[in-house]
Amino acid sequence: MGFPHKPHARETVVLSKYFGDAEARSLKGWKKRGGYEMLDKALGMDPNAVIEEVKNSGLRGRGGAGFPTGLKWSFMPKEKKKAHYLCVNADESEPGTFKDREIMRWTPHALLEGTVIAAHAIRAEIAYIYIRGEFTEPLTIMEQALAEANAAKLFGKIKVYLHRGAGAYICGEETALMNSIEGKRGNPRIKPPFPAASGVFGMPTTINNVETLVAVPHILKNGADWYKKLCLSNPKSTGTKLLSICGHIAKPGNYEVTLGFPLKDLLYELAGGMRPGRTLKACIPGGSSVPMLNREETESTLLDYEGCVEKGTMLGSGGVIVFDDTADMVYQTMRLTRFYAHESCAQCTQCREGTAWTTKILERILAGQGKTSDLDLLLELAENMTGKTICVLSDSCAAPVVSAIKRFRGEFEDYIAGRRKPVLAA
Amino acid sequence: MSVTHPEGTEPYEPVFEGHRLEELNKLLTRYPNRQAALLPALWLVQRERGWISDQSMAEVAEVLGITPAYVKGVVTFYTMYHQHPVGRHFVQICTTSPCNLCGAEDVMKAFLKESGAGELGATSPDGRFTVIEVECLGACGFATPILVDDDFIESVTPEKVKEIVRKYL
Amino acid sequence: MSDVLISLTIDEVPVQVPPGTLLIEAAKQAGVLVPHYCYHPGLPVAGVCRMCLVHVEKQPKLAIACATQVAEGMVVRTAAPEAKAARESVLEFLLINHPLDCPICDQAGECELQDFVFQEGRAATRYSEYPKRFNPVEDFGPDVLYVPNRCILCTRCVRFMEDVAQEPVLNVSERGDRAFIGIHPEARLDHPWAGNVVDLCPVGSLLSKDFLHKARAWELDKAASVCTGCSQGCNITLDLRDNTVVRVRPRPNLEVNRYFICDHGRANYRWMNRGDRIEAPLVRQGGELVATDWDEALDRVRGLVRGAGGSAVTIASPLASTEALYLARRLLSRFEWTGAFQMVQGEEAPLAGVPNLALRADRAPNGAGAELLGYTRDVTGAVAAAANAALVLVLGESDVPVETKGVLVYAGTVLPDHARGAEVVLPLANVAEEDGTFVNRDGRVQRYFQAKPAPGMARPAWWVLSELVAEHEGVARAVGAEDVFDMLAGNEPFSGLSYGKLGMVGARVRSGTGVPA
Repeated sequence: MGFPHKPHARETVVLSKYFGDAEARSLKGWKKRGGYEMLDKALGMDPNAVIEEVKNSGLRGRGGAGFPTGLKWSFMPKEKKKAHYLCVNADESEPGTFKDREIMRWTPHALLEGTVIAAHAIRAEIAYIYIRGEFTEPLTIMEQALAEANAAKLFGKIKVYLHRGAGAYICGEETALMNSIEGKRGNPRIKPPFPAASGVFGMPTTINNVETLVAVPHILKNGADWYKKLCLSNPKSTGTKLLSICGHIAKPGNYEVTLGFPLKDLLYELAGGMRPGRTLKACIPGGSSVPMLNREETESTLLDYEGCVEKGTMLGSGGVIVFDDTADMVYQTMRLTRFYAHESCAQCTQCREGTAWTTKILERILAGQGKTSDLDLLLELAENMTGKTICVLSDSCAAPVVSAIKRFRGEFEDYIAGRRKPVLAA
Repeated sequence: MSVTHPEGTEPYEPVFEGHRLEELNKLLTRYPNRQAALLPALWLVQRERGWISDQSMAEVAEVLGITPAYVKGVVTFYTMYHQHPVGRHFVQICTTSPCNLCGAEDVMKAFLKESGAGELGATSPDGRFTVIEVECLGACGFATPILVDDDFIESVTPEKVKEIVRKYL
Repeated sequence: MSDVLISLTIDEVPVQVPPGTLLIEAAKQAGVLVPHYCYHPGLPVAGVCRMCLVHVEKQPKLAIACATQVAEGMVVRTAAPEAKAARESVLEFLLINHPLDCPICDQAGECELQDFVFQEGRAATRYSEYPKRFNPVEDFGPDVLYVPNRCILCTRCVRFMEDVAQEPVLNVSERGDRAFIGIHPEARLDHPWAGNVVDLCPVGSLLSKDFLHKARAWELDKAASVCTGCSQGCNITLDLRDNTVVRVRPRPNLEVNRYFICDHGRANYRWMNRGDRIEAPLVRQGGELVATDWDEALDRVRGLVRGAGGSAVTIASPLASTEALYLARRLLSRFEWTGAFQMVQGEEAPLAGVPNLALRADRAPNGAGAELLGYTRDVTGAVAAAANAALVLVLGESDVPVETKGVLVYAGTVLPDHARGAEVVLPLANVAEEDGTFVNRDGRVQRYFQAKPAPGMARPAWWVLSELVAEHEGVARAVGAEDVFDMLAGNEPFSGLSYGKLGMVGARVRSGTGVPA
């Protein structure tokens, strides 16, 4: 089992404070560290007041979309006519991202606390925590924590259930997650209707990411203003974010920084920089579904929602994948498209066929049988796969293709022209 | 690609009786309808039997009041449900890009060799190991992560593979 | 307030529709067919094929017309360059794994993939270096074959079985480009309404074994008709090749069968092609039935009717048209008359997802029509009365033996042995060979149209009886079935109706349940 590192001086340690502290897992240990005080406070507040505080803090969804959380909560019906549900998205499957697992296995009670506060705010009596099937350790730890909390009757009328996934990246999409809870294939739904109107079991539902929810008790404790002040660049991006750094880097792991933090410093200072003798070639800052950046762009990107968009990418889930000069960008692009081809749910024509076709073209290029027309074809397919489907898995497959060809066209052309030896069998 | 699977040949015994039926009934209280207990019910079957046969699908369908075809559609969607018997130990190795950059494919090759499985999806001749390649396991910073049954093992390198295989013999 | 219509523009045509209307339906008003696959008005919306992408002004992304509701002032352009490019790309994606089976595929000529590719697809493929996905043909059940290679995963079949038949026996199996339509090994597609998936399938993936390789779509002549399988009165289209009925398909009628027919009705057409038909009028001469012409046969019948007195019995078939049943009764109006029909019974099989739609226990189409005209179901009593009646007319019913001391006139399509004692035998056209109407169990009068010529000298029953009635009463002969219907419409409960008013969907004579639209 890997251990997290000691916090770097430039990290803003809020959510990750007890990572590595085994005692924090137990109810007793958590309470000793101030846990569940905010739950008590929240349960005594008017739900609207909780929503207002979270709204004012500027907290945005940490799962990838970055939608303002308080605003999302406010979409739930104000008048309670039907059962309300909260779904916690612990399906973390975005390549490059591994923060929610750390939150769950080190501070399970933090998640439970955030969950129940959120459930209270949206007037939900039931919360399902959807944990991906492969997260066996976080599941066991969450089960233990939940048993302790239930035994201590901490949650009042609110019931929290763990629901185990069974191997499908697409179930991290909020409507697919709801379908999966309902015992169906994890197919995303067309919107409208939106979850707040008709979600799981047709009832008003809110879906929140793990990292989003564990920020809520801190916001209630220290106030919205405190959270707003945690901001290094754009005032629309407040608070801290766990960046999961992996790939060709000296010290992979989760690093918690204030939004607006320079990506360059994150990589070179906090994460120990490149492996000995290597130089940075590319970086995907927000999980594999966002466009990749070349070295110049990487070294000038500020890590918040707007800063990434400025560079033509997105903050997404904050899964930072680092590629050094040894990385074969063509091969890695193929490996990513192969991921999407494997995970496509098969509903939309463009995604079902396009992810596989894109992968086949890249495999053919890597097998030394590429044609000069292939790159234009790949770009055209990517265009046809973007903005036309029920969910964005299709767009996510297109993003690495477009950004890799744009920034590393030479590597593709090397394979096509035969200047580089094939790495796949024909 | 040829794969060999040890076949299950015993006559079918229902899963949902006794304490297992009790467990399912408890699960059912969490949801407003029976169908929502499908994924947990399938996990239960796989826990008991190691895999989910067509007959088990029919049994789950009957217990939950849905059709066998519906259950099959769900089982074939989720990759963690086994539709065939697998080796005593089921090894899942992540090879998606972040781990791929850190030598995941070498780990995979080492496992295929050390376990005797030889091919992805195949079971070793002694029935001990089935090895497959999977997509991102959500532990990218601890490359290469693997799952052996329910044991999540991080930071696996080709050098560590022999020892891991020995642990599960 | 609920009468307020939404105004919008589709391809520069102003359109006004009720709120909640989907763009794809509103477009029909503008005369625009938005290309689509997964959408079907009889099924819940899926939005998966992505074929119906259209451009909506002020919206950043293209919208799928099947899932977008109209909004006031919307400006929709289905032929905008981005929309056409998007649709062209969907077709390209569909064709990368779809085999070029057209020369051997039943669907050719009535295939929506062919149609839209021809209309707005690419001329050539760019996917030439790879094999297409291959899966073997599967036998799903009594009549349905599944060809996975041709499947475009529109999921109409899955949604039909799940939502309309309410027996989810089909699923989508696997994920991504490995997906296919699956069925559990222990299950069969033998639901009484399962055959509809073959009609719903836009391509040649789900095929009818009965129709397999029988005819090419462009060889078929089509005629609108009404199913004779039961009293539901589902609207159908008869498909014929060389004057032989080879297929029955549902014809949409929102008031009766929506878009569907049951498998019993679907298979109920072979009898329309029977070869053992009576092909000439027969009259008794010297103890034997001898073929003759219509003039002589009709003269003989007229003489028999004029010469008889007292009681008359009509044993009618519940497949006889309303027109024929009416004239048959009118012909014998001066007799003490008993009229009855035998209604074969079978098991009812509802289509659960559509209210008031089922394969009915009454296995013939015009029992209600007969009852409205005074016929009863007491065929036993009628047969008993016939024994001593002066004149017995059998109208189209070949399964009820009847003996009489009086005169037997047999009019029908086939001549059973038990009718060989008749004085006169008149050859009739069957439902595929004439125009007429049936009244279904909900009192809906529906037209059916001639699909093929009657064999030999057989004529429609309405013509035969009109010749007799005209002579008998000194009124004008009917020139067409419509004339007879007009006569019929002079009486309750048919007053006010006409063929024009019936149109293609029929009209009710009495209030009843019926299928809500």
